[in-house]
Amino acid sequence: MATPLSPRTRTLTVIAQDPSVLRPDGNILTARVEVPAERLAPGPWGHRVHVIDYDASTGRLYRPRTDAADRDPYEHVRDASRLLDDPCFHAQNCYAVAMSTLARFERALGRRVSWGFSGHQLKVAPHAFLDANAFYSRRDEALMFGWFHSDTGPVYACLSHDVVAHETTHAVLDGLRERYTDPSSPDQAAFHEGFADVVALLSVFAMPEVVAVALGARPGPRRDVLPRSALTPDALRRSALLGLAEQMGRQLQNVRGAALRRSALLEPDRRLYRAPEYLEPHRRGELLVAAMMNAFVQVWAARLEALREIQRGCLDRERVVQEGADVADRLLTTAIRALDYAPPVDLQFGDYLRGLLAADREDQPDDRRYLCRDALERTFRAYGIDPAAETSAAGRRSWLLRPGGVDVEGTHFASMQHEPDEVFRFVWQNRELLELSDDAYTRVLSVRPCTRVAGDGFVLHETVAEYVQILDLQPDELRSLGIRRPAGMPDDLSVTLYGGGVLVFDEYGRLKLHVSKSVRDAEEQSVRLAYLAAHGGLRGPGARRFSALHRRRNLARIERPAERW
Amino acid sequence: MTASTKPGKLAVRAYQVGFGDCLLLSFAYPDRERHVLVDFGSSGLPENAGAGLIKRVANDIADRCHGKLDAVVVSHRHLDHLSGFATSNNPKRPAPGDVIRSLRPAVVVQPWTEDPDAATDATKPTAILHRKLAFVAGLGAMQGFAESLLRELHLLRRTMGKRLADQLAFVGEQNLKNLPAVQNLMTMAQDTQAYVHFGSRSGLESVLPGVKVRVLGPPTVEQSDEIRRERDTDENEFWHLLGADGRAVATRGHGTFRRAASWPAGTVPRHARWFKRRLAAVRSDALLELVRALDEAMNNTSVILLFEAGGKKFLFPGDAQIENWAYALSRPDVCQQLRDVLLYKVGHHGSLNATPKSLWALFRNRSPSPRPGRLQTILSTKAGKHGSSQNKTEVPRKPLVHELQSQSDLFTTQSLSAKTLYRDFEFEL
Repeated sequence: MATPLSPRTRTLTVIAQDPSVLRPDGNILTARVEVPAERLAPGPWGHRVHVIDYDASTGRLYRPRTDAADRDPYEHVRDASRLLDDPCFHAQNCYAVAMSTLARFERALGRRVSWGFSGHQLKVAPHAFLDANAFYSRRDEALMFGWFHSDTGPVYACLSHDVVAHETTHAVLDGLRERYTDPSSPDQAAFHEGFADVVALLSVFAMPEVVAVALGARPGPRRDVLPRSALTPDALRRSALLGLAEQMGRQLQNVRGAALRRSALLEPDRRLYRAPEYLEPHRRGELLVAAMMNAFVQVWAARLEALREIQRGCLDRERVVQEGADVADRLLTTAIRALDYAPPVDLQFGDYLRGLLAADREDQPDDRRYLCRDALERTFRAYGIDPAAETSAAGRRSWLLRPGGVDVEGTHFASMQHEPDEVFRFVWQNRELLELSDDAYTRVLSVRPCTRVAGDGFVLHETVAEYVQILDLQPDELRSLGIRRPAGMPDDLSVTLYGGGVLVFDEYGRLKLHVSKSVRDAEEQSVRLAYLAAHGGLRGPGARRFSALHRRRNLARIERPAERW
Repeated sequence: MTASTKPGKLAVRAYQVGFGDCLLLSFAYPDRERHVLVDFGSSGLPENAGAGLIKRVANDIADRCHGKLDAVVVSHRHLDHLSGFATSNNPKRPAPGDVIRSLRPAVVVQPWTEDPDAATDATKPTAILHRKLAFVAGLGAMQGFAESLLRELHLLRRTMGKRLADQLAFVGEQNLKNLPAVQNLMTMAQDTQAYVHFGSRSGLESVLPGVKVRVLGPPTVEQSDEIRRERDTDENEFWHLLGADGRAVATRGHGTFRRAASWPAGTVPRHARWFKRRLAAVRSDALLELVRALDEAMNNTSVILLFEAGGKKFLFPGDAQIENWAYALSRPDVCQQLRDVLLYKVGHHGSLNATPKSLWALFRNRSPSPRPGRLQTILSTKAGKHGSSQNKTEVPRKPLVHELQSQSDLFTTQSLSAKTLYRDFEFEL
């Protein structure tokens, strides 16, 4: 008899959303999530995630489970107190959600994803401190989750699926796009938050258990069906999005914000994108979430229109739930893959929308079944976000598709699939075609071969490389480049301009796409500097950016650097 | 108005109390002088000041006002503005607060957030009343948090640097409830306890005839809402959560999982040591961030008073920072009134954001060279107690001090010798 193959994945029990979201029988809604199978050490401590349960407020270091860390002893536990009172379950919950989020990125991108720091294992502290806060810290190579008391008992940020997925997404995105934490523009400041919310919420809605609860229990004999009138985009927005938002633990609003609720309630209005109150990073991030979650309900509703009724005017409830989870999963893939088509610096929401549409077109050339692209473009435009143009206002090409005249003389594609030096040679050799600055410091940040299954079922091989250009200037040098010097900028403060691009090579090694931001784009750099000067960002970010950012949300704090000495 | 109901002169006595404020305003009326004490506290005495400085200041106030204060203004609840009002339990050894109480002030002015009747104010619509109560409760929770922070500091001291620990202790103690002083103030007024907000009467009308006193801050919650952007998170609820926690963490080893297995104190497996150190550092930084945030929130309850007499204006903003000032500065009529300020008590001991640049720009009496009618500024401070030069948060902030020096007649209490208790400034009205 042949030896059975080792399983590639295993399932672990987690709290599906947070402890306040319950099953109809009153128990906490749990789910089983798939994570890569690996040999775990006590922690859990795997090859990418290491849970260390130290509480700095009380000085306690909790011991992990030592009995067969690979097993899931919580599979059949229904008693809420057994889950809530057991720090080892909390550790498993964090490990499983973090690993499944990482795996979701790797599956969508078709490649391994590194963290944004030099190590391989992300540390996770489920009960890091007594505080209504949770954050990712590159400097500490860790996710940290706070806990606090409420009137109804202790509240643990680490037990909220969306909070853990959100923070893990910060860590993953930091590995994929290390310059997205640079001070740049209102959009880039908001993108980390908005994107992390999008991934967290779509991950939650991709679980049928959650969609079923979000839709609410229907009393009476027709509880297995749903009337069509309850399945319009507006009705789904109220029932599924707002319904789940209502059930989420209110105390955690200080930790997670209210992105889901806002996405359900924020009426489309093109003026919002330019409105002063939407310049604040969290508020601006909500526009991204609202656009994405509204696209989700629109695609979901459109899919349901095509379904056969099982009773007059009614659809099978289970099928409605499954369609919702499928659409969320599909959009999640697109949201992640869009990163490969987004510039590595100075990201604008319009760049991301252009990347979303391109990623979806690449994966699903025929969109007739889901009509995702229509929905995405429509909902983003409804909030004032238009796809970025292929040429910037200053005439720089930011989207170059299958360009001619590429010089590959002396370069070797086999090396270009994994060697930054080889890619750098390609970049250097083609710097005129790619419109690079000769003055700037240039560095290839990453080279990543990818393998994905395309919509036609064939395996697709691509290579994605990312480079940056950095130019340090004294204030009096700005004018010579046509860049406007911000009012009140000190003479002794040098400024750093960033540019860069993403190169996508097809399976034959041909340059398929170059997405870029030019370090010499005078108009865009002028706008960026003006924003940084007005918001105190010219001196660079603080050490623990996400901690500070989340804290400002906690305290509803408005930054007014212009009033300071 | 008859001549007897108008003051002819104002004397301002700025006491040297280190990191704190204590100013005595004496208005000379034809019949007698009337005295208003604006703040009395310190959270860091001057070097070589010797013990008993605050008591000496209290005695000097008693002498200067000949045993009778007309009014006391306490801008906000911070130690460095009210520690001097603390009383003693020993009648044989009266504390400075007992001395001030014996001066029987007719009026005590405090911000609306100190009003003990806030909880029974039924004249407001329910939603606004609810938010007002939440705001006041939030301030209480902040002080609860400060208490728990100081307890936690004992746990963390070994893992953090001395400078950070000192900063935390300083700001934490600043925000404690200071109950003896608060209770003394609640019952000190002979006639009127005034709890004021932007646009309200100051309560000083009866004791300072012929002097117009405008209240420019703090704004009420409704007024703040007029300029505040829409928000989802509730700061008060956040502090409530942390304040509640203050009771939960008192000793090492406690947490929420009492029966869970943990490593004995001091025993850390090798693989966790680096991270444990990192986490302790994260916690220290977070505490400093939190304690600064609550310090700012409390500063922003400061009463801002603009005195006007004989056509001259004198501005006393306590420790108000930009969030407090924002409502007043959003009103063109107030900006107009502020243009010809003659004396400015520098806000918050010269910190980076308590003299908003937009406020400073309004003052028309600024001038690069000495001249009659030039702006007089008074800075009551002590360097090295708050913030750091490295982070550009030192108090007093150097660029601000430079600006004050170059554009006004600046007096700083730090310029007084250790033996000198005060400096007087006189203005003909």
